Amino acid sequence: MPEAVSLNVVIKIVESIFLTMMDVEVSVSESASVPAGDRITAAVYLEGDWNGAVSIECSHPQACSFAGSFLGMDAPEIVDDDVRDALGELANMIGGNIKSVIGTDIRLSMPSVIDGNDYTVRVCGGCIENKIAFQFAGGAFWVVIVGKEKLCIRELPHAELQEQVM
Amino acid sequence: MNKALVVDDSKTIRMILRRMLKEVGFDVSEAANGKEALAVMDVERDLVTLVLADWNMPEMNGLELLKQLRQRPELSSLKVVMVTTEAETGHMNSAMEAGANEYVMKPFTKDILLEKLARIGVLPMACVER
Repeated sequence: MPEAVSLNVVIKIVESIFLTMMDVEVSVSESASVPAGDRITAAVYLEGDWNGAVSIECSHPQACSFAGSFLGMDAPEIVDDDVRDALGELANMIGGNIKSVIGTDIRLSMPSVIDGNDYTVRVCGGCIENKIAFQFAGGAFWVVIVGKEKLCIRELPHAELQEQVM
Repeated sequence: MNKALVVDDSKTIRMILRRMLKEVGFDVSEAANGKEALAVMDVERDLVTLVLADWNMPEMNGLELLKQLRQRPELSSLKVVMVTTEAETGHMNSAMEAGANEYVMKPFTKDILLEKLARIGVLPMACVER
């Protein structure tokens, strides 16, 4: 069975990836819902002792900004293959590192990317376990963990969470 | 000039690694999976001294690529570094047993990468200490 994973660990994984690969400091936000309009979601799927998906979701301009930072170039003006690839790689790193923390026999899929303004991502038989909002100087994004089985991610009050992540 | 082959299905990672390697003097070729990498090696085997390979890729994954490279006697001096999100001890052990020289976990910084490359002798330590 999977190890219990603290929400704080998931947050630290995301913070570390953004800081290491893009030199961008991010922190947890209380913003719960993705704004209306065009958005993009990149997901990887985990299969084995724990079955589910880990995704990152943001607005189109945000995704373009991430791609620019990731690739060390000016941000593309529209969502193109470079932007999708960059967001997919972010999902791969986040999902891969969460998988490693779970520490059991789990396989990781290739990333998939969806974009548009009217879609829902579901894992068959899954339910949303955690939707974590992040903010940084340039905007916000969301990391969503959906599992068919319960992954022991502890919910913490926002104030306590901020304290523990510091 | 040293030549490196970067193997990753993500163009983003290929571009990042290309930039980091070029800054320390490598010429860089790219492949999007293990099969493409073997095709590149067929042509550039006398030039490529270092392969950086992702683990999870379509067509042929990084571990299979590593195993196939290690079956070629003419590539015995080739250094192979796995660059991957697969951070479990079991994966690392499998790669090292199959002949990987180093293992870099994503996310990584340029400093981490160069330190690993210096450790296996494809870069002078001075490149890391600068």
